[in-house]
Amino acid sequence: MSEAVSEAVLKTEKVSKVYTMGKREVRALSDLDLQVNKGEFVAIMGPSGSGKTTLLNVLGCLDKPTSGKVVLDGVDVSKLPEGELYKIRRNKIGFIFQTFNLLPYLSACENVELPMESTKRPKSERRQRARELLKLVGLSGREDHRPHRLSAGEQQRVAIARAMANDPAIILADEPTGNLDTENKYEVVRLLANLNINRGTTIVIVSHDSHVASHTERMLLLKDGRIAKEKQGLHLMKKKLMCPYCGSKIQPNDQRCPSCEKRL
Amino acid sequence: MNESVVGSISSIAGIKDVVPFLVKSSSETTQQTITTPMGDFTMSRPLYTITGVCLNSSFIDEYSVLPTNITAGRNLREGDSGVVLMSLNLSKYYGVGVGSEVTVNGTSFTVIGIYDQAGQNSMETRGVYMNLTDAQTVTNEIGNVSRLDLYAEDVSVVDTIYTQIQSMYSTEINSREISVSTYADRLANLQSQQTRYTELLNNAESTVAQTQSVATQEIIVALAATSLIVLFVMLYTVRERTKEIGTLKAIGFSSWSVMSQFMLEGVILSLAAGVVGIGIGAVGAPILSGVLLPAVNPFGSQGTGFQTGGFRATTFFGSSTASAVVTPTIMLLALGAAVLLGAVGSLYPAWRASRTRPAEAMRYE
Repeated sequence: MSEAVSEAVLKTEKVSKVYTMGKREVRALSDLDLQVNKGEFVAIMGPSGSGKTTLLNVLGCLDKPTSGKVVLDGVDVSKLPEGELYKIRRNKIGFIFQTFNLLPYLSACENVELPMESTKRPKSERRQRARELLKLVGLSGREDHRPHRLSAGEQQRVAIARAMANDPAIILADEPTGNLDTENKYEVVRLLANLNINRGTTIVIVSHDSHVASHTERMLLLKDGRIAKEKQGLHLMKKKLMCPYCGSKIQPNDQRCPSCEKRL
Repeated sequence: MNESVVGSISSIAGIKDVVPFLVKSSSETTQQTITTPMGDFTMSRPLYTITGVCLNSSFIDEYSVLPTNITAGRNLREGDSGVVLMSLNLSKYYGVGVGSEVTVNGTSFTVIGIYDQAGQNSMETRGVYMNLTDAQTVTNEIGNVSRLDLYAEDVSVVDTIYTQIQSMYSTEINSREISVSTYADRLANLQSQQTRYTELLNNAESTVAQTQSVATQEIIVALAATSLIVLFVMLYTVRERTKEIGTLKAIGFSSWSVMSQFMLEGVILSLAAGVVGIGIGAVGAPILSGVLLPAVNPFGSQGTGFQTGGFRATTFFGSSTASAVVTPTIMLLALGAAVLLGAVGSLYPAWRASRTRPAEAMRYE
């Protein structure tokens, strides 16, 4: 991945979202400007009530901004009617949820096939792709398991495979590690980081876990509905295949730095 | 009465012809059971009626003294003796046909023809017609007749003749040995009979109609209940699965595809219930009809004449005189209704599902 690429995949211009609660108006987002470039791995952080979820809903076309513009992959989605938005959600966005949101009565493979359901791909091709994606997230051999027979970490990996199904322009993850134990948490973050490095997938995660956020390449701190602070993350070094702690050379799939032995 | 009256009545002015008949019940009887609400009664009835006709060819040609609808063999004609014309149902009862030897009150006769009793007075539905002399012999009524048909030369004199006969036989009429009636009387009598039968028929029909209307009401209630149940079940399902529906929409399902999936679910659910219901119905209907239908059978307490008349009570579920059966038509109807009710009942829930905001996927539960 070359750093020179700075083509915006996602761009917001003065996005505001106001909720009316009875007589009171709550400003969840206020004139927020944001740009995510192709191939970036970005974390949006902030305390609860800072507008993280609202921002993610607006970015993911799950909710419409009160004012402002959201441009996704060259399309101004803030103007689109619901009849068109579902196609954007299907083709351009991959969603990862804190609670995984797999359909309990479908197998892992069927869950991954789900977003491809209403596309023109033939059934056999959809199945083929779902199997490949499950292999990519390390779940070969568990294709026919239902979600309740998978661990939380495995379920989230199925969800990641599902998010990848239609080759979206961007993956949006809402607290992807929120329901996972430490071990699975790193597993999922490493998986996302590898997808970013190996496949150039653009990923935005929302998290209040600073440790998780530090493994991305850019951290945006949200406060009172706008971006208050921006920080570089460890992922920037890893993208250049360098250990962010000691600067020695690493391989994309290394779990620990070969020289300083710190967890990557 | 004695045949001698024929001569004296013939001499009355204005009378054209006097046709004598002898009508008597057979000595053979049959046991008949009548079902009433108080229980079954068995009584013995004469098996058939013997009618002796004066086979004078001018009578046969001019007046309707014999049955006309001959189905086999030939009608009686002048000079016939030792032969009978038999009603169709009696011939079936005995299992005999044209040319068979039958015994009437102990005397042997040959069946010369069969007539269809349909349209005859109900008392004469089973009967044999024969020569008047033969009839007098077998019924032990030699020289007697039971009925005289008088034909006047002109309609204007009928009343005069009527009065004259009444005065001639006043003693016998007072002692009820003889009754005299004109066609006008008989027509009035027939009309009142017809009215009575019509009333009976109407009663029977209204009972059937009542049964049908009760059944119709029950069906409407059942249909309404079914779609309401589907509605509530599907509403509950949609509510329970809000997050799942939100997820589907978040990963790119259109409102339309969400709606059609829930419609399909409702229809399949209802169809499955329909199949189970038909199964229960097929097994249960014969059992239930055995328990319930005698109570609603509109003919159980009415005259036997109607039952032999071939009426059948039909309700929505088929013929109740036999049993309620589940026919292929009813199965198809039931399945069709299941699909329709499933669709109707899940319309609103499915619409609700399709309106689910995709942001519901973010809900924590």
